[in-house]
Amino acid sequence: MLQETNKLFIEVGSYQHNKYGNLVCGDSVLMHKSIKENRTIAVMSDGLGSGVKANVLSTMTASMALNFRIRREPITRTAKTIMDTLPVDSVRNISYSTFTIVDIESDGNAKIVEYDNPSLILVRQNKIIKLDSKNTIIESKLSNTNSENRIIKLSDILLQKEDRLIFFSDGVTQSGIGNWNMPFGWGDEVNEFILDAIKDNIDISARELSRKIVKQSELNDILKPKDDTSCVVFYVREPRKLLICTGPPFTEENDKYLAEIVRDYGGKKIICGGTTSKIISRELNLDILIDLNNVVSPLPPSSKMKGIDLVTEGIITLGSLSSILEQGTPKNLDQKGPHWDMFRMILDADIIDLVAGTKINIAHQDPTLPVELEIRRNVVKKLASLLETKYMKTVNLKFI
Amino acid sequence: MLNIRICVGTYCYITGGSDLIKIKDQIPEEIKNKVTFIGSACLGCDEEKETSKPPYAKVGDVLISECTEEKLLNEIYSQLGIER
Repeated sequence: MLQETNKLFIEVGSYQHNKYGNLVCGDSVLMHKSIKENRTIAVMSDGLGSGVKANVLSTMTASMALNFRIRREPITRTAKTIMDTLPVDSVRNISYSTFTIVDIESDGNAKIVEYDNPSLILVRQNKIIKLDSKNTIIESKLSNTNSENRIIKLSDILLQKEDRLIFFSDGVTQSGIGNWNMPFGWGDEVNEFILDAIKDNIDISARELSRKIVKQSELNDILKPKDDTSCVVFYVREPRKLLICTGPPFTEENDKYLAEIVRDYGGKKIICGGTTSKIISRELNLDILIDLNNVVSPLPPSSKMKGIDLVTEGIITLGSLSSILEQGTPKNLDQKGPHWDMFRMILDADIIDLVAGTKINIAHQDPTLPVELEIRRNVVKKLASLLETKYMKTVNLKFI
Repeated sequence: MLNIRICVGTYCYITGGSDLIKIKDQIPEEIKNKVTFIGSACLGCDEEKETSKPPYAKVGDVLISECTEEKLLNEIYSQLGIER
């Protein structure tokens, strides 16, 4: 029915915690997702020391690394430029900032560059796989720097479905240092922790896993982290799909086609629109139940239909949804109403299939109506562009 | 039980249907246990008539156009055979 996408989907998540008592984080994490190239890049840098100075160093490093990578500059040149550009620390008399760059192409080929951060971990089928990496020394113009310190590690791997790439700053491995049970810090035990976390919840999202790792390091330091702590996780997985159907098809012959799309869709389903839900109900022989006790003004109530995750009114609800999307993700996600239900489902989805019927409801064009009703096609187009640019979702738009 | 269907489709909802839903909570005691309120996505009236007059509601099998609280209650009372 709808075009199946067999591309690998890559979820990226990160979490950070500042050193105890610091207002800014000395680590920087930057990400870039190119929808056209289907490429995902993430960079993490740990600046020398902590606080504002470290933050400046790591921000400089991370943004240089990211932008060089986007333009596909050679790795050695990137590393050399970064090392030669950073300002020299007045106390320690060195210019230094670590970085890890992960660049994943659409075919699953990942390029990994590591400089002095704890080693990146690849988890495949609940085992830690050792990366086959080669070392490269970056030559320096400055004579006082020790060339042994300027070794970068390069690895190329082909990612498979269900692989996870995990990397973090030394705040994670050194957490808990001096405690009786981990005198030298968390160290390699973090590997066991990661495997256990995945075993406990096989579908754990990248966002959740990175948060879990950072939270545990915070606990290791008894809630007073001794260093800035950051963790980035990549998770290659089956994308979570969401179908949003709105509007009756232009010709009635397509009603059946619309119903088949809804019936055969592998993912969550939302139907927006009274007439649309009537069509689905008629074609698939499903009852619509409207709960009048659950009215959140000013929006018409949502209904229930077997096998459909959410059934709402059409154009007013879509309009409210688009204004939520425009404002950006709020802190409080637990607000009530059909538009909020939709918003939450959208946040959880990776691929969104929008199917919009283009039949115009002439009654909606009546100039005496108390509320202005937009043309569905325009609202849907606006939604699609918001979801793509602002929420990094893959959107397939189809008019019928 | 007398079924009362109120349309909450877009057109009906913005032309007064939203107020009709509220009647459910203010229904007089004497008929409270004799009626059931049901929402409807669309009662399918727009297509039947050239000039449709929303909002629509249905009491039993009787369709009411340009429905108001007054009209709706009158119809309910008359179908239940109770003096208002």
